[in-house]
Amino acid sequence: MISAKIKKIFEEARKEALKQKVQANLSYHSEKSHLMRIGNNSVSLNTSENLTRLDISVTIGRKQGTHTQMGEISSAKYIIDALKIAIDKANNSLDLDFTPLKEIVEENFVQTDQFDKKLEDLDPAFKMEAYKKIIETVGQQYNYSGSWSSGSTEHFFMTTENENSAYHLVTDQLFNIVLKHPDKKWELSSTQTGWKKSDFKAAKTIKEFQKLLPVYENHKGFKVKTCKYTVVLGSAAIAEVMEMALWTGFYGRTYEEKRAWTSKNKAGDKILGSNITLMDDPSNPDTFRFSFDMSGKKRKKFVLCKDGKLKNIMYDSQTAAMYKKKPTGHNIGGTSIVLATGKGEGDKSLLKAVKDMGTVLYIPALHYINLPNASKGIFTGSSRFNAVLIKNGKIVSPIFSSRITDNFQSVFGNVKVISSESVSFNGSNTYGRRSPVAISVPSYMVCEKVKITDCADSF
Amino acid sequence: MNEKMRKTILENISRSVVKKAEYVDARLVTEDYSESVFLYDGNLEANDTTFENGIGVRTLYNGAWGFAATSDLSKIKECFELSFKNAKTASELVNISITMGKKQKGFTASYESPAKQDPFKVSLKEKIEFLKDIDSNLKEDWIFKRYISATFQKKNQYFFNSEGTEIDRKLTDVFATMMVMGLDNEGQMQRRSHELFTKGDGTRGWELLVDPKLFTSHTVRIKEELAELLKAESLKHGKRSVILLPGQGWLQVHETIGHPLELDRILGYELSFAGGSFVNLDSFGKLKYGSDKLNVSAYGGFPNSPGSFGFDDDGSPERDYLMIDKGLLVNCLTSRAMINEANERAGRKIFKDIGGASRATAFYRAPIDRMTNVNILPGNDGKLKDIIASTEDGIVVDNPTSWSIGSNREHFHFGCEIAWEVKNGKKIRVLKNPTYQGHTTEFYNSLTAVGDKSTWVVGQVDSCGKGEPNQVMELGHGVPVLKFDNVITGERK
Ligand SMILES: [Zn+2]
Repeated sequence: MISAKIKKIFEEARKEALKQKVQANLSYHSEKSHLMRIGNNSVSLNTSENLTRLDISVTIGRKQGTHTQMGEISSAKYIIDALKIAIDKANNSLDLDFTPLKEIVEENFVQTDQFDKKLEDLDPAFKMEAYKKIIETVGQQYNYSGSWSSGSTEHFFMTTENENSAYHLVTDQLFNIVLKHPDKKWELSSTQTGWKKSDFKAAKTIKEFQKLLPVYENHKGFKVKTCKYTVVLGSAAIAEVMEMALWTGFYGRTYEEKRAWTSKNKAGDKILGSNITLMDDPSNPDTFRFSFDMSGKKRKKFVLCKDGKLKNIMYDSQTAAMYKKKPTGHNIGGTSIVLATGKGEGDKSLLKAVKDMGTVLYIPALHYINLPNASKGIFTGSSRFNAVLIKNGKIVSPIFSSRITDNFQSVFGNVKVISSESVSFNGSNTYGRRSPVAISVPSYMVCEKVKITDCADSF
Repeated sequence: MNEKMRKTILENISRSVVKKAEYVDARLVTEDYSESVFLYDGNLEANDTTFENGIGVRTLYNGAWGFAATSDLSKIKECFELSFKNAKTASELVNISITMGKKQKGFTASYESPAKQDPFKVSLKEKIEFLKDIDSNLKEDWIFKRYISATFQKKNQYFFNSEGTEIDRKLTDVFATMMVMGLDNEGQMQRRSHELFTKGDGTRGWELLVDPKLFTSHTVRIKEELAELLKAESLKHGKRSVILLPGQGWLQVHETIGHPLELDRILGYELSFAGGSFVNLDSFGKLKYGSDKLNVSAYGGFPNSPGSFGFDDDGSPERDYLMIDKGLLVNCLTSRAMINEANERAGRKIFKDIGGASRATAFYRAPIDRMTNVNILPGNDGKLKDIIASTEDGIVVDNPTSWSIGSNREHFHFGCEIAWEVKNGKKIRVLKNPTYQGHTTEFYNSLTAVGDKSTWVVGQVDSCGKGEPNQVMELGHGVPVLKFDNVITGERK
């Protein structure tokens, strides 16, 4: 629960906002963050950040203003002064040409089911020891770098529309290590994620590296031709491409403004392959779960694409007000995107799954994806870690940095096999404030006729 | 900053030194304001201010960095202690010891961005009126969406280190963009935009934004160009010359010269996130990065840019020097600790002076090697029209829509807003959806024309992301018109 002191201060500020006859959303965000970076087999940075932010948004009729302030919220005066800034901004603003929706916290939310005190208080020495163990076990002849972010996020808010408040406390961690051969230059990577300290196991990463190393050590890099290949996308690549497809295909704002690759479609239209089902499911344990959005709306399972057919578009309250639609609980705050698994065998049998497919590229992750033409669903990105060429179910060699430039409709329209195992992909970034988000995706997908448009002479 | 605060910081630095810290610095940010206003189709969709203050402390102990930051200024002592503890833990896993090199003589200095009118003293009403004016000039029945945004930043920062250096800095930045969008003959969105730029001189307060040459006068041009785009055909796949206007040239330089020439990246400290670099320590003095026409400087010595800031976050002064000299790689973007490590690892003194490129985006982030201003120096191939006149088959492109780069920055793929087709020395028509791709050194070695000083402008960047935890940085790129030959353009069917 939020401390009684903060709650009382917020209630006083709410009273003040009501007295001033403004609609206000008052929000508290506090993070305890720790991050360890590894570079050249050393800890290159060990950083702790304790930061508290106050966000206030004010609506007066059709005018709005927002103000954010970092610092300790020590008194009602502190927050009322900030409220005055936001009121002043709203008063001096312009009338919007639509009426903003009132933000109502639908019930008293208290969500703490993904909080682990042990992870919040994790001693940085634990991380240092784990990296040390991995480096010593896998071999000090390689160059290691990595980062391991962990911490807690406490979020509390209320609005002037009722007495309710929403509280969310979550811990999260994202561990990453990159192994680079100092001469041959190839890179392997291992990632682990979760909300509990015990979600991390050094042995898991050691095993992953030990499995891949012989392939890389014993085979030269392969320069891929620029043509169409059958490509097995690994979980990170699926998640990265799917996040782009979501952002440019399933958000109300881009859809309504005809900038989406789905803009010409309506509910029921076939947009992807009939084996693709995509939803936002706040009950999925692979994700960081939020039972409410930042406007106070309760979130529930929300199907975006069912068997390849467009079902629903996500509307935040502003877009909903603008286009006279119903908000769907998608004001910023963690979504829980789930791409349904299929009938293919699990990760362990990936090679078996592609045995009769001849030459296949396995691309587990894509680096730096962007959208040369969002309206057409065209994306581009290049292979990096752990990417290999497979022939008749056998790994033949690692591949050089290869670029895929293709479109969502085709890549997710020609999926031959989908793994029956799901993987949690932690999509949290460390830009700005702590805000954990994860997506659940199949551990691999075999996609046919994927366009490879460039290949470097190196990894 | 009050004297009591200063004393507290200095006492804590001394306490860490007594505990055998090799080096300590603290950055106290007393105010870090930002304001953004954003008009979308006439609606003021962003009307935000942010205020941050706090302290960040960096401690070097036994060859390892520890860092801690807090927004609670009543906990300065605890912050120093946590930073020290973090360094001590880090020092348990050290393969290459970090060092700040020879102890430097402490000094006192200050820096203030050249600015006449503090943008935070201009009323919100005046800012909105300014945007509305532009908006009314952009408005047309056939234009689907209009976008104008302005961001203002002001930061007061005090730097202290254990060598006795104290620097106070007041930084001001103004960024602005305008854009028009429309649906083309295939029902797809096309856009044309213009970003506030400088010529490197002048001042960077509110007056920068209201200078018509730099911003407001571009409304007519972007509308006309959008109108042509809406009826244009798509660029077809093929090899041809590509002429980059500075609106695209800055991104080319940013992604394929700036980032690969960050020394921490070259040394492998960014591998797990941003990636590495195809450049290694052997490349300096040997690698022919580009043709003889390619001359690239760091900082550049011009005052009016977000990449001109006086002193970096190690307390080193900004320095103007060449990184690429007539195509040859000779230097890169460096900070104090990284040049020591690089010289030691190379076994020779590649880097003689500190580059002054150690930067942190906020008090709660530790500094890393960043771009300052990374610039291509003007050439002597005349103006844009002269470069077009000497082109047989090519395209002129402007403003990025998409950028994707290999993890070692060895290859790239860019999409632009607009292309003008050039045939036999003449611009003949507009083409939409232009893209081009290449391999970095091959591409720069095909640089065949560099525009003169009149074509050179400073692009302002407010969104360069790097590091973990991630830091979004402001910087600049002075770039002339550039022409490259035999470039793969468009997408294969
Ligand atoms: Zn950048």
